[in-house]
Amino acid sequence: MHDIASLSLSDVWAGYDGPDILKGISLEVQPGRIVTVVGPNGHGKSTLLKAISGLIRVRRGDITLSGRSVLPLSPHRIAATGVVHVPQGDLLFPNMSVYENLLMGAYGERDAKQTAQRLDEVYALLPRLAERHRQIASSLSGGERRMAGIGRGLMAGGRILMLDEPSLGLAPLVIEQIYDVIGKLRAQGRTILLVEENPARVADLCDDMHLLDDGHIVWSGPPHELMGRDELLAAYLGG
Amino acid sequence: MLDTVVTVLTTGLTNGALYALATIGLSLVWGSMGMFNMAHGAMLALGGYLTFTVCTQLGLPLPVAVIAAVAGGALFGVLLYLVVVQRLLARSTEHFETSVMIATAGISIALEEALLVAFGGQPLKQPFTVSGNLHLGQSVVPLLDLADVVIALIVMGLTYWFLSGTKMGRAIRATAQNRDAAVLMGVPVQRIFLQALAISGALAGICGVLMSSVTQLTPWFGDDPMLKAFIMCVVAGLGNLPGAIAASFCLAIIEAAVEFLAGARWGFPALLFIVIAILIWRPAGLFGRSQIRRL
Repeated sequence: MHDIASLSLSDVWAGYDGPDILKGISLEVQPGRIVTVVGPNGHGKSTLLKAISGLIRVRRGDITLSGRSVLPLSPHRIAATGVVHVPQGDLLFPNMSVYENLLMGAYGERDAKQTAQRLDEVYALLPRLAERHRQIASSLSGGERRMAGIGRGLMAGGRILMLDEPSLGLAPLVIEQIYDVIGKLRAQGRTILLVEENPARVADLCDDMHLLDDGHIVWSGPPHELMGRDELLAAYLGG
Repeated sequence: MLDTVVTVLTTGLTNGALYALATIGLSLVWGSMGMFNMAHGAMLALGGYLTFTVCTQLGLPLPVAVIAAVAGGALFGVLLYLVVVQRLLARSTEHFETSVMIATAGISIALEEALLVAFGGQPLKQPFTVSGNLHLGQSVVPLLDLADVVIALIVMGLTYWFLSGTKMGRAIRATAQNRDAAVLMGVPVQRIFLQALAISGALAGICGVLMSSVTQLTPWFGDDPMLKAFIMCVVAGLGNLPGAIAASFCLAIIEAAVEFLAGARWGFPALLFIVIAILIWRPAGLFGRSQIRRL
């Protein structure tokens, strides 16, 4: 069983240099659950994850991990508390091998045995990474890069895993593989906050779903309920 | 003919090893934090003078003097970060590359002037020396050159091991390749910047000792190698460490050949011509990729 935590956002307002992108977001991620935020492109889904991991400053509201605010912490300290952010577009270290990328995931781990055990777990879950472990990350295919990004996130052994559009730009077969891996993580009892553009892809996988539009959460509930609300899907996600 | 080749190769490989050592220090800092350290040349001089002072003036053994140069260089790197770089980063990351270049140019002038006041402008002889020659046919290879090459290669090997085989080294490379991703892995990038400058300073310290052993010790002796190291960094692609080492050896051999065949004054112009040609052909350098900094 992995160390898990709850994540809570309360009236969070945040943005980059200009106006607010997130406008009063509140949501809960309970331990062991998969929560998905869906919504059209450019409406704040990635910004939400960046606000949680401290990459952008929260201007108002609070973000707590198991009841403790993470807002006073710098991004690397937020990562050290167990918030693992697998960003959109992989952000791998391009000139390091797959193995080195995975080791970087466990940067905060001081116990070498623990790191080795996690490496075995990641290789068992993502066998393609074991085959490619000496390969330079920049030479991996899109799907392999995405798996390496997820694997690196898992190496951190974090308490909550945040995945930013893990299927973006991938072929259907690879998307299936990626979501198969997320299904296995669900079975392990991991706490996951997932950002996705297409709710149909994750409806069977997640416990709770939030619809984000223009920085506001406009709907929250069980995923299959949203799939039955054609007017919402048409209005916010183009059908 | 064979003697000419041996002479050119000996000079080229000796200079190449020393340039490579200077280039690693510059490239490490550029790659990890986007900082061109204009004070690197003055830091070479600092290393040379520290060894001179500890050995000649304090009368301590040479190994202690060399360690003092390495430690002094590292300490200077730490101070440079804490007093100047950290503040510039805090004020504006957008203009950091320009502001830090101007700031370190000022520090370079100040440090060289301080060395001038302390030691005078007369060239001094570096106590680190190896007497004797190796005879290869008609050619004579000074053992000091060989010692410098061996020590430079050992230091490069240790640097490679550190960067690829240790957690701190991997974190420095990771920060250079993708700073945001490194932060998300929990890497404290401010501490990584400090470590990169300390290591660069230590490398400048030992490099200054070796370089001044084959030239002479003056407050400005580091300026010329720093300029050449910069050229080699640019040719390789800024921040590309293995490329910088390869470029250092290749360009040093070309420089030695040009100086031997056309005269000493043509060596540096030849390097400049090469860098201009490469920048026109490949603006990101021979081994560089646009927007990717590599260590």
